[in-house]
Amino acid sequence: MTSPSSSSSPKGPKAALADALDRAAIDASCRLPVLLFFGSAIAWLLVGSVFALLAAIKLTTPEFLADHAWLTFGRVRPAHLNAVAYGWSSTAAIGVAIWLMARLCRVPLRHARILVAAAVLWNLGVAIGVTAILAGASNAIEWLEFPTYAAFILFVSYAFIAVWAVLMFRERRPGHVYVSQWYIFGAFFWFPWLYSVVNSMLVFWPVQGSVQAIINWWFGHNVLGLWFTPIALASTYYMIPKILGKPIHSYYLSILGFWSLALFYSWNGGHHLLGGPIPAWLQSASIVASVMMLIPVITTAINFHMTMRGSFALLRTSPALRFTVFGAMCYTVVSAQGSSMALRSLNKLTHFTHYTIGHAHLGMYAFFTMTMFGAMYYITPRLVRWEWPSAFLIKAHFWLASTGILLMVVSLTLGGLIQGIELENPKVPFLTIVAHTIPWLHARSWSGALLTTGHLAFALSFVLILLRTGKQREGPTLFTKERSFP
Amino acid sequence: MTFTLVALFIVVVAFTAIAIGAFGWAAKTGQFHGLEAGARSIFDTDEPIGRPTDHFPERGRKSKASV
Repeated sequence: MTSPSSSSSPKGPKAALADALDRAAIDASCRLPVLLFFGSAIAWLLVGSVFALLAAIKLTTPEFLADHAWLTFGRVRPAHLNAVAYGWSSTAAIGVAIWLMARLCRVPLRHARILVAAAVLWNLGVAIGVTAILAGASNAIEWLEFPTYAAFILFVSYAFIAVWAVLMFRERRPGHVYVSQWYIFGAFFWFPWLYSVVNSMLVFWPVQGSVQAIINWWFGHNVLGLWFTPIALASTYYMIPKILGKPIHSYYLSILGFWSLALFYSWNGGHHLLGGPIPAWLQSASIVASVMMLIPVITTAINFHMTMRGSFALLRTSPALRFTVFGAMCYTVVSAQGSSMALRSLNKLTHFTHYTIGHAHLGMYAFFTMTMFGAMYYITPRLVRWEWPSAFLIKAHFWLASTGILLMVVSLTLGGLIQGIELENPKVPFLTIVAHTIPWLHARSWSGALLTTGHLAFALSFVLILLRTGKQREGPTLFTKERSFP
Repeated sequence: MTFTLVALFIVVVAFTAIAIGAFGWAAKTGQFHGLEAGARSIFDTDEPIGRPTDHFPERGRKSKASV
């Protein structure tokens, strides 16, 4: 379709071969930078899992490792958040976005050196930042704990990636700009805006008083909604149709979803401060915007469901599809839950309870992380030109991750609701409420163990495929079965 | 403080201008037309509509044979 030879014989094997070779060339060109981002993302995922387990165990066993300053809860918990948010999630997202950009621009990736430099800097920034948090140099601003020098390195690395994205887009082959590219550009455009504004207003020239909290949550929520969410949706909008071999049900809805997300999301942050000492109109505006988020979420949910309809059997055969669809379903659930949590009546109950932590993990793990796993399962074999060596490891990863995250979300949601109801009742002593949360926190630690085991299976799979172990198999989609190499 | 406000104002204006520009560019270059063709733009003659492109490793040969 995009190559000259195909126009003469649109369906012929020659055209198919030309397209297959074009695609293989694009995938091969992405190999080094994307694998660099994927590999380091997985390493950070393991590091983040260890911090998560430490923090979870400390909630039920406070004396555990409590005599090492570096491993106290106040340091391990932000180390977990930053290792998984900037080390795992952002790094994986950038890797997926790079590959999608090259595929959707329909040209081999150029300027790979910019990306390699960006990957090295990004990892350096995260490593310095996490170490600084453990050493006690945290900024103590949620989602922004990295000290200035680490944040600066991340920003420079990010600037490299943004410049690369613009260069790549300018060199694309003419044709339609697919909806995934809109989401990626949205994300690449919003993140520097968020990160530079929040750093200038909270770190370099800090504003005073409750405005700090407003800016903090404007940033904290937008990182989820305008950075992680668009990249996961970009991946889903590519993976589901591509794996099924079926165009998206309604392209119109997908475009509507993008522009309505762009319009409503950035108002949402204020719902973290409901009942707090900030202007009431700001709280009301953020509640309205949070409920308006139902528009992009419903359009996306309808679109994915209608595209999947009749093809659910493929969930048995495609690992990438299974992870991606799990993530897409959880996107609907977590977003609807988020809109409901912004309502004052429910917020009064759930605020400052474990319910919120359950919601955060439903978003960042069940939705975002599972979608990234799906994308990595699709992309990596096409870069390495080797099929995943072990179906068992993939199945183990899926079932450990899905049952682990469900156990975590269910236990934190129920535990959080009980906690919230009891906090509303002045007759229940505070320590009784704390004691009532402990069984749910134990369940959370166990869920963390399941997730971490799943991550080990995934990391092992990734190392094995990089080493090209196992029998040689034809990559499922690199070439058609009728291919004959020149 | 004044400096921060001025800097922020510039950032706000610049980002809003870029967003409006992007929307205008999309409308002008026909990104909102021919939407169904847009949905088909990720397929090609080698991976056409109607052919699934992913499977579990162990089932590779079987599904390849059945395609």
